[in-house]
Formats: sequence, C-alpha cells, structure tokens
Amino acid sequence: MSVKSLNTELPGVSVEMGMDTNDMVVNIGPQHPSTHGVLRLVTTLNGEVVKEMEPVIGYLHRSKEKMGESRSLFQYQPTIDRVEYLSSFYDHLVFVNCVEQIADIPVPKRVQYIRMITMELNRITSHLLWFGTFLLDLGASTPFFWCFRDREEIFTLFEDLTGARMMYNYYRFGGVNNDLPAGWLEEVRAFVKEFPNRLDEYEAVVTKNPIVMDRTRGHGIMSKEFCLKYGVTGPALRAAGHALDLRKTNPYCCYDEIDFDVATATEADTYARYKVRVQEIRESLKIIEQCIQKMPGGDGGPLAELKREVETQTKAKKKWKEGEPEIVVPHWDKDWETMGKKINLLTYKPPAGEVTNFVESPRGVLGCHMITDGTPKAYRIKWRGASFSNLSALPELMRGHMYSDLMAIFGSLDVIMPEVDR
Amino acid sequence: MNAENKMPDNSPIPPSHAPEEAVIDQAPAIPAGRIGQRLVDLGHTIEHLGNDAKGTEMIRLTREQALTVANVLRHDAECTFDMMLMVTGLDWKTHRESVYHLNSTTTFTYLIVKIAADEQDHSPSLMPVWHACDWHEREAYDLFGINYDGHPDLRRILMPNYWLGHPLRKDYVEDDPRLVWNRR
Repeated sequence: MSVKSLNTELPGVSVEMGMDTNDMVVNIGPQHPSTHGVLRLVTTLNGEVVKEMEPVIGYLHRSKEKMGESRSLFQYQPTIDRVEYLSSFYDHLVFVNCVEQIADIPVPKRVQYIRMITMELNRITSHLLWFGTFLLDLGASTPFFWCFRDREEIFTLFEDLTGARMMYNYYRFGGVNNDLPAGWLEEVRAFVKEFPNRLDEYEAVVTKNPIVMDRTRGHGIMSKEFCLKYGVTGPALRAAGHALDLRKTNPYCCYDEIDFDVATATEADTYARYKVRVQEIRESLKIIEQCIQKMPGGDGGPLAELKREVETQTKAKKKWKEGEPEIVVPHWDKDWETMGKKINLLTYKPPAGEVTNFVESPRGVLGCHMITDGTPKAYRIKWRGASFSNLSALPELMRGHMYSDLMAIFGSLDVIMPEVDR
Repeated sequence: MNAENKMPDNSPIPPSHAPEEAVIDQAPAIPAGRIGQRLVDLGHTIEHLGNDAKGTEMIRLTREQALTVANVLRHDAECTFDMMLMVTGLDWKTHRESVYHLNSTTTFTYLIVKIAADEQDHSPSLMPVWHACDWHEREAYDLFGINYDGHPDLRRILMPNYWLGHPLRKDYVEDDPRLVWNRR
C-alpha cells in the first residue's frame, strides 16, 4: 500500500488533518524471529509507511570462499553443505560439476538420475519449509507443523540414502558416494504417489483463504524489469511472467530427457510467488516420477546382486581352462555405474582450468566460479547465492509499503541468510 | 654409393629447437567467439580469451572501453545481456581483476567479461549499465580492495566497517594481532 493509497483509503488520518509524523528510524534484527537467519534491517518509517530500508548483512559470514583456497577440494566438499543448508544438494552439484568439467570426468547416466531425484526431493523440502514459515509470518501456525511432518518423511529417505538428514555430502567427482539402498526407489514412489493428496489438502486451506489473499494479493509487485534490474531469479522472476528456468533453458544433468512445465504467473505479487512455488512442488513430483521410471539399472537391491554376480563370473572366466563348462558373464551396462572414473580423492589434483556453472536452485540461480592451478587446492572459488541478489531488491521493493507488510513481502522472497553471507 | 654418402641418411637429424621455440613463444591467436566477433564487427578492439571448460565465451576489456562495450552488450540486438549474475574478484598477486558473469534472458547464453584493475586497484564500475552490480561490486571491494570508480555507495558489505585489510587477497596476513587465535 503506497502513501497515496493510504490517504485515500483512510481519509484524514495523515497529511490532510495536519497531523504530520516525523521520520523514525527503527532497527529490525539482527535477531528478529521472522528474518529467517541473522539479518538486520535499518528502517526509516513515516508513521507506519516504510520510507527507506538498509539491509545490514554479514553476520553469518563464515569465509566459505577463503576456506576453499586453504583446503584441498575433497576436504572442502563437506563444508559447502553449509553454504545453503536448506537445499545443499544443489551446492554440491554445482561444485562437483565444476571439477568434472575442468578435469573432464565422465558421469554415468545412473548418477545423473540419482542426482536429479535427490535434488527434486530437496526442492520439495525447501519449498515446504518456505510454505510453513511464510504462513507462520502471516499468522497461521498449523501449516508449519504439516509441512514439517512431510519434510521429516523426505529427510528419512535422505538419511537412508546418505546417512545424514541435512548435511549430505553425497555427490563425488564423477559419481555419488554409494548406490541406492534396496527398496529406496519404492519408498520414494510411495511418497510421490501420496504427497499430492496432502498438497491438495494444504491448498484447500490456504490458497483461497481470504486472510491470506488479502495480505498477499497486490502487495510487493516485482515486475520483470525490476527483477532484471536487481538480478532477481527463481520463483520471483517466474511469478513476473518470465520463464527463466535453467532446467529448461540450459539443461544440466538429464533434464532435457524429462517432460515438465515451468511454473509461471503474471501477477508478479506475493500471491503469485506463492502460487508458483506450490506449482513447482507439483512439477518436482512429476520429474521424480519420470526419473524413477527411466532410472538406468532400476532399483539398487537387484542391481547390487547383479554386480556381485558379474564380478565373480569375470574372475572365474579369467581362470577358465579348456574342457570346463562355459562361463557366461551377465550383461553389465556402463550407465549403471555409480562412479564415472576411479579417483583417489585424498591426493586428487585437478588440472589447471577455469569454469563457471549455474544451476536452478529453489531460490534462483546458484552459481560457482572455480579457478584451479594444478594443485589439490582451488586458486579461487566464488559462490553466487540467489538470495544475495534477491535481498538486494528489498529496499526498493518495500518503499511505500506498510511496515506490517514487511514480513509477508520479505517472506515471499524466500531469502536464506547463510547463502547471502556465505 | 659409398658408406660416406649413406651416413647422413641413417643418422638421426640433430634436433634443432629453434623453430619450435619460436612457435611456443608466439601465443596462438584465440579465435573470436560469437559475441566477440559481433563486438569486432561493431568496431571494438577486444581481447578474446576463448572458452572456459564448460564452453562459456570469455572476453577481456580494457578499463577505458569497459563502459562503452558494456552498453553495447546490454542493448545490442544480438547480445542482449540484460542480467548481471555475479562479480568475481580475483587476486593474481601482480594485479586484481573483476570478472562479470552476464546472462541473456532472451537467448539464454552466458558471457564472462574480465576487466583488470590498475596498479592502484581502480576499475570502472559497471553499475550504470547493470544496477545489479551494486552489492556484488561492494563485495569485491570488501574482500579484494578493488575500488570501483563511479560506484555511488562503495562500502564494506560482509566484513565489519572497522575491519582493516581485504581478507581474500593472497597477501593477507594471518598473524594479525586482531585475529582471535593470535591473542592467546
């Protein structure tokens, strides 16, 4: 709500009655419960209308880029989970892709599909957390618990696969740490089948809720030009009607083999960003379902047995002599491997090179610029967190809005502070 | 034919490195990419750096031409790089460099533009062309000490205001008495 519309809607409250208010500087944060991290906003208010806003960041600066220069790439890898802890598979993918492209390491197809399934599940957890906390900011506390119940189910799946619930450290240069456990794909399939019903339930409560619509529709409008000006990406840009989704436009992994739609909206307000994210959860489920169908090698259990069989028969064939019954080695496809190339990670030295990779994380374009010089350490690693650019748009976005809309609008950007400060 | 005549034929030719060295000394000219060729066609002399490991085109601009060429990259019909994704500060020990990662939201191509800073670490700010450079250039200033001329609000962004030095420089000292582990 701008200052002008405030005057028309509530006539006589402000300037017309001669009741001028003085500007007041209000400090919000760094430990405000709704800032989703440690963010300080120095806000100049006129009455309840935001005039100026200055985000103060850096409270969570953990020098991730300096750490990359002082450790070997393999030692550095576990720490990049913490760059953005709500969707850390994406950090790993963009980092691992950089090394793979510099060193020209092949990646088997099964690995690509495992990465796609884990990333899309991670996108769902991230969007669910956003869904819960966004509605919590608006005053609805029940969806928060629903979302956390569903996140727990996905985290249990991740724990079975990687051994960790949030800090996975699962991808390796040219592969993944371990193959899928037996029956894991079935569990994922069961989740994917059941989850849309629950999402319908949530939407039935929230999407047409008059309070939610009143507080979100028409507020925080970010047009396409505004997004491009500040480098805002992700659901905020797609809610402005621009279908920039790197999975579609610059496909990585095997996204070009998957049939899915890019969720877009045209209203460009807070409500549109909500709708885009919910639609993205549905698209992610669609992607996971197709990945399970197309997974080369299928479930992990039978594949592990087959691999054992292949290894024993290959050994037996080497000792085979004339006159003995013939030994048949079962067919083994290279696409079914979980490592493209055997690497001794402790002593691994990538060749000198330079590469930049971008992927579509739940918050927007996540990037990593890596320069190596032939030593085990990187010469320079630079992270581009989508939240950094998204947050830089907040002051102009909030200008002229009511203070009470701050949390609704800021929440709709889905900013996560560890990614801003790195 | 006697043995003396045969000798030179069978003996190995003495290696002469001179011509090969001459070839090595001349850096092979890197061919211009699509965007680089477009800029050359428009009359700008730029340095082509080839592609990175992923195949993204890289070019280097001088400080004097940076703003002019950036405007072309932003508005030309064949370039249309309307989104600035990130600025990487780089310390090459002899000089500092800023790397701009551009994206076109119509053709979905990336471009990497490098601009080396001068001896006093001054580099032109590209904020008049891409407003998104604002925070990214502040970060490069904070961590590398690159002074962006023309930036309206060049302050530290990640480190506290009272911090001395620029921590991502290669010559940044770790035995500084201000650091916590050196107080013990």
